[in-house]
Amino acid sequence: MTRQLPAWRRLLGTELPVLLILVFGLAPYIWMVLSSIKPTIELTRLPLTYWPNAATLQHYADLLARTSFATNLANSLIVALGAMLLGLVLSIPAAYAFSRFRFPGRRVLLVTFLVVNMFPIVLLIIPLFVLMRSLGLLDTYGALILGHGTFAIPFAVWMLTSYMNGIPVELDEAAMIDGCSRLQIIMRVVLPLAAPGIVTTGIYIFITSWNEYLYSMMLSGHEVRTVTVALQLFIGEFTIQWGLLTAGGTLVALPVTILFLFVQRRLVGGLTAGAVKS
Amino acid sequence: MTLNRLTPYAMLAPAVLVTAAIIFVPVGRTLVLSLHDAVLFRPHAVPFVGFRNYGRALADEVFWISAGHSLTWVVLAVSLQFLLGFVTALLLHRSFWWRGVARALVVIPWALPSVIIGLMWTWMYDFNLGVLNDALVRFGLIDKPIAWLANPDLALYAVILTLTWQGFPFFAVVILAGLQAIPAELYEAADIDGANAWQRLRYVTIPSLAGVMATALLLRTIWVANSLDVILVMTGGGPGLATHTLPLYAFLRAYSGMEFGYGAALAVLLTLALLAVVVAYVARAVREAGQ
Amino acid sequence: MKRRQFLAGAASTVAASSVAGRAQAQAPVTIRWWYHFDNPQHSPAELVAKFERENPGIKVQAESVPWGGGNDYYTRLFAALVAGNAPDCAMVKLNNQARLLEMRALEPLDARLASWSGRGDIPDNIWTLTKATDGKQYFLPVQYVVLYLYYRTDLFQRANVAPPRTFEQFLAAAKATTSGDVWGFGMRGGAGGHDHWASFVLAGGASFDKGGMVSAQALAANRWFVDLARTHKVFPPSAANDGFRQIVDNFKAGRSAMTIHHIGSANEMVGALGDKVSAVPVPRAADGRGWTSFGDESNAVFAGSRNKDAAFRWIAFLSTGANNVEFNRFTGQLTVTKSGAAGWSLHPKRFVDATFDSVPIAAVLPDHSKTADFTRTVWPQNMQRALLGQIGADEMMQAIEKHFHG
Repeated sequence: MTRQLPAWRRLLGTELPVLLILVFGLAPYIWMVLSSIKPTIELTRLPLTYWPNAATLQHYADLLARTSFATNLANSLIVALGAMLLGLVLSIPAAYAFSRFRFPGRRVLLVTFLVVNMFPIVLLIIPLFVLMRSLGLLDTYGALILGHGTFAIPFAVWMLTSYMNGIPVELDEAAMIDGCSRLQIIMRVVLPLAAPGIVTTGIYIFITSWNEYLYSMMLSGHEVRTVTVALQLFIGEFTIQWGLLTAGGTLVALPVTILFLFVQRRLVGGLTAGAVKS
Repeated sequence: MTLNRLTPYAMLAPAVLVTAAIIFVPVGRTLVLSLHDAVLFRPHAVPFVGFRNYGRALADEVFWISAGHSLTWVVLAVSLQFLLGFVTALLLHRSFWWRGVARALVVIPWALPSVIIGLMWTWMYDFNLGVLNDALVRFGLIDKPIAWLANPDLALYAVILTLTWQGFPFFAVVILAGLQAIPAELYEAADIDGANAWQRLRYVTIPSLAGVMATALLLRTIWVANSLDVILVMTGGGPGLATHTLPLYAFLRAYSGMEFGYGAALAVLLTLALLAVVVAYVARAVREAGQ
Repeated sequence: MKRRQFLAGAASTVAASSVAGRAQAQAPVTIRWWYHFDNPQHSPAELVAKFERENPGIKVQAESVPWGGGNDYYTRLFAALVAGNAPDCAMVKLNNQARLLEMRALEPLDARLASWSGRGDIPDNIWTLTKATDGKQYFLPVQYVVLYLYYRTDLFQRANVAPPRTFEQFLAAAKATTSGDVWGFGMRGGAGGHDHWASFVLAGGASFDKGGMVSAQALAANRWFVDLARTHKVFPPSAANDGFRQIVDNFKAGRSAMTIHHIGSANEMVGALGDKVSAVPVPRAADGRGWTSFGDESNAVFAGSRNKDAAFRWIAFLSTGANNVEFNRFTGQLTVTKSGAAGWSLHPKRFVDATFDSVPIAAVLPDHSKTADFTRTVWPQNMQRALLGQIGADEMMQAIEKHFHG
């Protein structure tokens, strides 16, 4: 529930701190953006220049015209959206089951999901490579979506269970009395109220997939190359293509930011207000 | 409404089956490998050695140094991320005209790939060409540049700062979502009782958020404990052993040294250590959720 | 009898006609080749097209794999070999030859090389350096660099020192050019920096044989080297962690007066410093012994390939004359062919000279399965600790000895 404060208090008490936090959060990113418009010669010169002496968009032109970066961005988008859908579709019913039902094996399964999370999955690269090869999925979207989506499931199940626990069971029961089937309860009562939690979990899966490097490098080749692998290609044995790297780094954050700009509207409060007459 | 006893299992089945195939099986294989002398470039000679890898690990000086660093790493990084994220969430919950944009922008550190984060921060910490040294010298806070990543006393903390920067948006977003679910009536009741902002926070907000915050802390602790991307890019574990953490050490032994069996044993030990740390929480959470 | 003769006759007729028209008669084979270029803007597409025109019936699928400091490239390669999904051929380095041999993954090329016309165009010592410990040739060299010493001509003039030829001259030059925020030698202490250390310590008497790291000479050489940092302070404070990027950038920015690198960075250096930068071979010990790293890169054919001949044709194509020159235009390194080196114009002459003059002392680390771990982990960790004073110089050598010989 948000309260309207007088303007000057809002400025000092809210907007200024937010601005400071954003400065901290964005300073390295802004440094990267500034670097991406500096000509290569300026990038390793002393003394440091903050503002470019001769701004240029050449790095972006090179990036988009002479490498496959645009395609890689598209690939990453497809994989991340796919992983998000897969993760949510599988986790939501599981979380509902954990939240609403009591059944034998419930605790064991919950704990197993947690313990599986604890294992450093970087050690699984090679067994997973062998598995994907035997399934014939190497270098396809399927391998990455399956890999990313699946690794997200344990986290997602825990987070969604936690959010769903916050929705009073009385609402379910009230709907049941009104004659709704289990599916209708989920669709009409629980999901809308759990929307902030689902948004958060979805964003979490998306970002985790977007950022992921090791599996993308191992499981995909030149057919399905994600943007994290593409960026790594700019780091060579003897040289680093700073111009391309900073330009690519600038672009890579944008899809997530834009996506979040749209979905954050669902992070709105008061949805449970008055829902249960106490 | 007929309550089918199989309903919960049916709802769980897809998630469990997929996870079993893609995660459990490779984890199982890795567990088995940890009991063998498995070297990647000797695929035909993999003798069973029982717990010898584990014995070697526990006697390994580097293992204990890495474990100590992991502890520092997790405690500091998670606390700092949490505190900053919590404050950010509270602020972004309030109403001001550019709130949407602020929320979207705050996600950026979290949205960048680790390789970019590692490279940018390494560049910023650079002894000669880094902005951090340049800015600190210009403002007169230090008179000579500091070798942030080459100084073994500072390197770990420098990387922890980077990780704090990377991770606080996670808490901000998760707690922000949790804030939305707090019923307005609770705040109204507090107002009627004459509570001030601090008391509202303490007696309404935090208790209501307790479940979500605890889950987020738990999951984030596990994630941070296992993370090695950023350290790998920034220092590779150096200088010396100064930024060695357990997952990094396991990774280096498994892929650089190609000693898969030993690396797997290190990973299992890390998992057990994490388990010990969170078992208290898990027991309590499962008990509570069972009510 | 008649039937056998008939069959033999028929077979030889078929064979004769198929030799002539083999390329057209067979279905095209596709070979997969893995590579890593520093600049992804460069694509081998033109070379592939040229090869396919000259060899109808062979298609080349070139796949670039991220280098990731070497780790990513080799993890992917080894995983693919283990899973049976390896390419037909790939770019490989000597520091992994021992491991690949242990996996029995490589195809010996001696027979095919013997009948290859381009064999004589590659200098003999490069063949020797890339030969395996079992005497067979698995690697076909495609490019090389040799590490030499960069130095700032203007700083040296100002300090009135000549480019050093011996270790003592090196120390004197480093001390003379260290002042304020300029350091005499930009040492590379991060992973990959063992080449700097080796030039002084291996040339100073250490070796990788049993006991070779802890002999009196070896310990003395290493102590001298560590003293450069701890006593004479001619390394920048960041040296313990510096990678190739840092040493090159620091040199370009005027923060170090000397550093060791190779011709791959020459154009970059000249771009930033013009005439103020030049190069000489690394200094030698008092007894004339020298050591510098031979930076190799070769192509190899894998034993599991089903199209070994086609794969060999492709990698031989890449190491032939004009093609090799073109290839190295992409990678910024030196051609292995004598014909290509004659008219070499991609780098300023003084750096090419420094490279050639260094070849007599160019060497590689031993072909041992523990070498890769040495370069990646054992050397950097111990060197860093020694530079920082956390362990003594002698302890460092003992750790290295222990790693190789237990």
